[in-house]
Amino acid sequence: MTASVLAAGVLEDTIRAFFQGLPIGAGFALVAMSFVLTYKTSGVFNLAFGAQAFISAATYFELHVRRDWPIWSAVLVAVVLVAPLLGLLLERLIFRHVHASSAVAKLVISLGLLVALPELFKLIVDYNREQPFGAVGIIPDGTTIYRLFGRYPVTRDEIAAFVIVVAAAVALAALFRYTRLGLRIRAVVQSPRMTELNGVNADWVSSGSWMLSSFFAGLAGVLLVPTTSSLGTVLEPTGYFPIVISALAAAALGRLVSLPAAMFGGLLLGVVTTQMRTHVPRDNVILAELQGPALPYVMLFAIIVFWPAIRRQVAGADPLLGVSPPPPALAATSRSKGMTIYTRIMALAFFTAVGIWTFGYANNFWISRITHSVIFSIIFLSIVVFTGLGGQIALCQVTFAAIGAFGAMQFAQRWDISVIVGMLAGAAIAAAVGAVLSIPVMRLGGIWLAIATLAFALFFHDVLVKYSWVGGSLFHGRGVPRPEFLGVDFSSRENFLILCVAILVLVGVLVILIRESSTGMALRALRGSETAAESIGVISWRSRVIVFSVSAGIAAIGGGLLAMEERLVGYEANFDPQTGLFWLVIVVVLGTRTVEGGIQAGVAFVIFPELVLHRWLGLDGAWRFVLFGFAAISFARHPEGLLEHGKRRSQAMMQRMFARRQPAMATAGAPAGAGPTTEAEAETGDEP
Amino acid sequence: MSLLVADGITKRFAGITALQDVSIALEEGERVGLIGPNGAGKTTLFNCLLGLLRPDAGSVGFDGQDITRLPVYRRTRLGIGRTFQRVELFSGSSVRDHLLFAHRIRSGTGALWKDVLGLGLPKPAEIERCDALLESLGLGGMGDEPIEALSLGQSRLVEVARALMTQPRVVLLDEPSSGLDRAETDALAETLARIQSEQGFGLLLVEHDVELVASFTERTYVLDFGRLITSGDTPEVMRDPEVRAAYLGDFMAGAQ
Repeated sequence: MTASVLAAGVLEDTIRAFFQGLPIGAGFALVAMSFVLTYKTSGVFNLAFGAQAFISAATYFELHVRRDWPIWSAVLVAVVLVAPLLGLLLERLIFRHVHASSAVAKLVISLGLLVALPELFKLIVDYNREQPFGAVGIIPDGTTIYRLFGRYPVTRDEIAAFVIVVAAAVALAALFRYTRLGLRIRAVVQSPRMTELNGVNADWVSSGSWMLSSFFAGLAGVLLVPTTSSLGTVLEPTGYFPIVISALAAAALGRLVSLPAAMFGGLLLGVVTTQMRTHVPRDNVILAELQGPALPYVMLFAIIVFWPAIRRQVAGADPLLGVSPPPPALAATSRSKGMTIYTRIMALAFFTAVGIWTFGYANNFWISRITHSVIFSIIFLSIVVFTGLGGQIALCQVTFAAIGAFGAMQFAQRWDISVIVGMLAGAAIAAAVGAVLSIPVMRLGGIWLAIATLAFALFFHDVLVKYSWVGGSLFHGRGVPRPEFLGVDFSSRENFLILCVAILVLVGVLVILIRESSTGMALRALRGSETAAESIGVISWRSRVIVFSVSAGIAAIGGGLLAMEERLVGYEANFDPQTGLFWLVIVVVLGTRTVEGGIQAGVAFVIFPELVLHRWLGLDGAWRFVLFGFAAISFARHPEGLLEHGKRRSQAMMQRMFARRQPAMATAGAPAGAGPTTEAEAETGDEP
Repeated sequence: MSLLVADGITKRFAGITALQDVSIALEEGERVGLIGPNGAGKTTLFNCLLGLLRPDAGSVGFDGQDITRLPVYRRTRLGIGRTFQRVELFSGSSVRDHLLFAHRIRSGTGALWKDVLGLGLPKPAEIERCDALLESLGLGGMGDEPIEALSLGQSRLVEVARALMTQPRVVLLDEPSSGLDRAETDALAETLARIQSEQGFGLLLVEHDVELVASFTERTYVLDFGRLITSGDTPEVMRDPEVRAAYLGDFMAGAQ
């Protein structure tokens, strides 16, 4: 054995890894170009591509495998027909109507769709059928192996993926360069409102690009099935997450606006992936992890945080962005005294009734459901803190909740320490992780913050949970006892519910105190205008670290309680990142700005599917994903949440009725006309 | 010792020299103008003073302390307040909230738990203080108005009020007249002059509107192509032929 033989071996490995990397990268490139296309034309950062890819792949499976259609016709329907049609529908029915909204609002809508679309598809196509969609490729005999230059093996699937992607990229490049549509798309990207002022109808531009990008997503959805290990043998929308994340990393290399950069970025990341698998030694645990599931998340996170182009993009924004109307004040702040007392009496009566029923009449099932809703209310208050007070979207609250749950478990199992202490320690760890995480990502804000936190959540899910110091060992199981402290045993259902309610009250009060504190004021100022806030001495990073770690701590407390309630850490059922997306969607839909909003979301999350969907309507519980997912569309118009919006409307209505009874008083102090003054008008109407 | 000093500031952007060895100084309670045509480097200098940009060479001093590398909020806490050319207000908040925020953040204790347990609802004394300032700026009775309901001129006064609530020793005004008509500008200048003489803070006015600078400031610096071309008592500067050639041109000639 000489050095030259060894070197030749390394060279051969490198070349083989290169040829294996290209098709994988081609898949990334395809999805990355879809991202760029929709982002360019409608400003939508469409995380729902995973869902769209899933729908095409599942349609193909339904037609080809279950209904025995020939391959070509199944592909034709799934990719050429269904995918662009879906894109067109999404654009026509949803995104066209929100294209002047903020990027974050659009991101929330796409999250809702990511949750809703696959579930809706499964409900419609797969109704009453339990067996899952299988992962089947579209290339006949796709696993046939060819040898490039006589020695480097590639499968037919891989060759097909690469050729199709390159063809698509060339066609796209031609479209952008040589057509009027391409020129308009580029204009629309810069500032949709400015472009409209220049007389360009942005609508048909975005229709076309949505159909095209959805077609790409569908194509990727079916093409990537055989080459993607995360998809396994069962087709699930979550299986597309690693691809979507890698594609995001590729798209981020071109700041989401450069198609060539997205394509080359995708190919590059594909090659980097396989090269790392080939060359990085496997004996180091961290390095071994990096070759596998962790790589896409680490890449995305690193690119978002360190890529200078993104930092520059964060600095520059649409010049007309500031024209958006601000969120209106909370309904409660403009409520008259009479209304406030009335509302409080009603709330007290309601909670007393629920309490009497729970402790007097409810069976174990309902006590457990109510405990769950209290716990989820606590968890959702962390979203109230982060999104309602901080004004940002984070997709890793589920991870913090899991940290709290695992904290309680680890402390109880390893050191036999009280679960309450374990839960608090978990909360402290989550707060620390949140603080550390906040430093690189909070500066980004907006969609980049959301994506970086999603990358973190997926990293935790795919990598960290497997370690015994995080997720526990198979040997010990994930059991968690109920607590016993201050001489009280909380192991009975009723006692534990009381404990949870007490903690909910404490956390709720904490959230209100923070909202009213100087820190809360600083956060409101930062939301209004960051530069102005700094000019009055707000330390922006400090406020952000606080909001991130407080929110992480609250989520962890809720997660710990959930584990105690269920007597084990039900990680897969409760703390999956996909579940986390649904958490965000449901809280954002119902109201992020008040403590009530969080509690209502907690109740809706637990009770609504059980009571309304299942018992009253006899529907599948999965409809909740569809309902709340689509309800996320309302976020664009009512960022304060549907319940807050409803509250404001009913309050305005009731106060108008009051005002009518006392017409002289009502008109005395009220300024003339105008919508925004109705609340002031109503307020004067109720004074004696 | 001057209160606010910029010493030999040089700032380049990708090969373009926006500021070349510019030095200015402002005394306690003084009203100073900074004028120059578009692209002269006024805003760049302004941002260097405030900490939004870091100069490539030179230093910024405040009250004898070198603040060249301090972040924005530290400068604010030392006593540098500012307003914005494009109005930057906290959307969704009332007029009074703007002042309360500034006051709270200035007087905040720093410790989070104290802050949180302090039941941060505004105390009557604070509200009174805010309303008194609003009153003296001619915004009396508007405390509860949503900020969006204000006209541009009123918004600029709110910015001034917000800056004043941080108890500044010098306020930097970035083109306060932009977007205002003559009458509004005059009203703004009058209010500013009154409140400045009452409270005695220093004032650096970066302006386009030569008339405003001429009527309002004691001393003036003139920038052109990133260089300081002249400085001195405002009336003298306005008569300087080089200044008139570079910037004032026909406008002043026509006015006289």
